[in-house]
Amino acid sequence: MAGRLPRWDVAPKTLVFGAFSFDGNGAVLMQKQENRQLLSGTERRVWQGGRSLVRFARQRFELLLVPVAMAVFVGVWALIGRLGNYPPFLLPTPVQVWNRFLTVAADGTLWYHTSITLWEILGGLVLGLTTASLLGYLLAKSPLLERFLSPYIVASQSVPIVALAPLLIVWFGFGVLSKVLVCALTIFFPVLINTMIGLRTVERDLMDLMRALQASRWQVFRYLELPASLPVLLGGLKIGVTLSVIGAVVGEFAQSDRGLGFLVNLANRGLFDTPLMFVALLVLMTIALSLYGIVSVMEWLLLRWKRES
Amino acid sequence: MPSTLRAEGIRHVYRGGSGELLALDGVSLSVDEGEFVAIVGPSGCGKTTLLRILGGLLTPTEGWVHLNGQPLSSPRRQVGYVFQNVNLMPWRTVLRNVMLPLEVAGVPRGVAEERARQLLALVGMEGFEEAYPRQLSGGMAQRVAIARALVGSPGVLLLDEPFGSLDALSREQMNLELLRIWQARRVTTVMVTHDLQEAIFLADRVLVMSPRPGRIRTQVVVDLPRPRTLEVVYTEFFGALSRRVREALDASSAL
Ligand SMILES: Nc1ncnc2c1ncn2[C@@H]1O[C@H](COP(=O)(O)OP(=O)(O)OP(=O)(O)O)[C@@H](O)[C@H]1O
Ligand SMILES: [Mg+2]
Repeated sequence: MAGRLPRWDVAPKTLVFGAFSFDGNGAVLMQKQENRQLLSGTERRVWQGGRSLVRFARQRFELLLVPVAMAVFVGVWALIGRLGNYPPFLLPTPVQVWNRFLTVAADGTLWYHTSITLWEILGGLVLGLTTASLLGYLLAKSPLLERFLSPYIVASQSVPIVALAPLLIVWFGFGVLSKVLVCALTIFFPVLINTMIGLRTVERDLMDLMRALQASRWQVFRYLELPASLPVLLGGLKIGVTLSVIGAVVGEFAQSDRGLGFLVNLANRGLFDTPLMFVALLVLMTIALSLYGIVSVMEWLLLRWKRES
Repeated sequence: MPSTLRAEGIRHVYRGGSGELLALDGVSLSVDEGEFVAIVGPSGCGKTTLLRILGGLLTPTEGWVHLNGQPLSSPRRQVGYVFQNVNLMPWRTVLRNVMLPLEVAGVPRGVAEERARQLLALVGMEGFEEAYPRQLSGGMAQRVAIARALVGSPGVLLLDEPFGSLDALSREQMNLELLRIWQARRVTTVMVTHDLQEAIFLADRVLVMSPRPGRIRTQVVVDLPRPRTLEVVYTEFFGALSRRVREALDASSAL
């Protein structure tokens, strides 16, 4: 046994200079010039990363269909407007909405409200994702805790967030904080469930393998549980980011003086400014689509092994 | 780092919702440095249970296991384990699967990669470093699993029906490969199988187990000369050995 190969447990540190790595699925390895093989490995990985982005764009050429679908939608909308000749407060035409967009974009109103809502969504996502995945991890690990807590968690889901939002505003004020909380609550449940399912799908045999390797708790998480549950986690994230937009708006609807939800409310109830409402709604959709798109790209990059066959 | 493995008076009871199940009763065995021992027995007789106990993955209800004279109560890195199903991580490439034991052991990435490449060469899997497990055939995946079990230079190799899912031809091929690897590395090896010919072809000794609760009924010493080639299977001596193992198995099943 001795001989042939250097023993790993006494592997001299001096063999490697400045090796460091970003773990994840595509590891990036930096190695000193000396080791040609490894260096070319590094280059290959970087190159593969770049190439997979290009492939993403190319193979997802259906993405090109998005503008086409949008054009069709706007066309039908314009047609209905022209045929019915409705007053703008009932159904504005695309042109009226576009003009309204230009005015609110020019005077900074739109950007102001959009940025508020974006912050709420961001805060809600960070808060909701961390608490839900942490609790999901604990529940998946401890059947006892799950049995103890799950009735409360399920029961809490039967309370409509819409009904809870005003209360949260009474407790936490008009500001951004209460909206962040509403948003976090909205995404909490689906993310929690997906985290639990994801971690439970980890194969028992792979768990044995990690035990046989004397892996620490953290290593089991990093090398096994995280990558194994990643597909399900990303699925939960897709639901989560979409719901987060709704969550923020629900919070703003309950009570607020800024944000896109406030803008919709104002336009709809106070001013009968339906074009403005359409502008706000379209921005909200754009946000939701962008967030969803970001998660899709993450999926594409992280789950390469799922595509290869 | 050659190693010896001893187990004495192993008894194991599984406790579940539906009561107790006596899986192993009074199993003792001893494997010498660099020896190849095969364990055969009917399905469900406790072979996997025994192997998991030998690997420290399972604590027996009674009895003890010594690795190099030291009590073994939890898994050790000196023991390489090949699972009954291949058990590769589908999200890691072949190379990264083989690197895993070293990464967990905290070996620097560069060293780990180099060693993993050497092991993949040893099992004849060069050129597949960047492939994913689902792109491999059963035999190739099994080679990778063996490379992974050997990459940490273990003194003991435990194999649980590693070629159970292969057709006869690839199985023969893999037997030859395993023999070559074992000869190159001289690892103390315990292999569970239900293929008698495979057991005799590979092993120095074949242990025959009884149906549940598993006990070791007989041992058949295989004093065939090494290195062995596939032709040995057709010799009269091999046939006689097969008959002895077969009879031992039948006798123990009849009890
Ligand atoms: N975790 C467990 N809990 C309860 N019973 C178990 C457990 N694992 C195995 N058993 C039972 O113990 C007995 C021995 O199982 P084991 O897997 O060791 O058999 P085996 O000889 O490896 O079988 P095979 O040849 O089919 O792989 C079987 O009856 C099985 O049902
Ligand atoms: Mg078994």
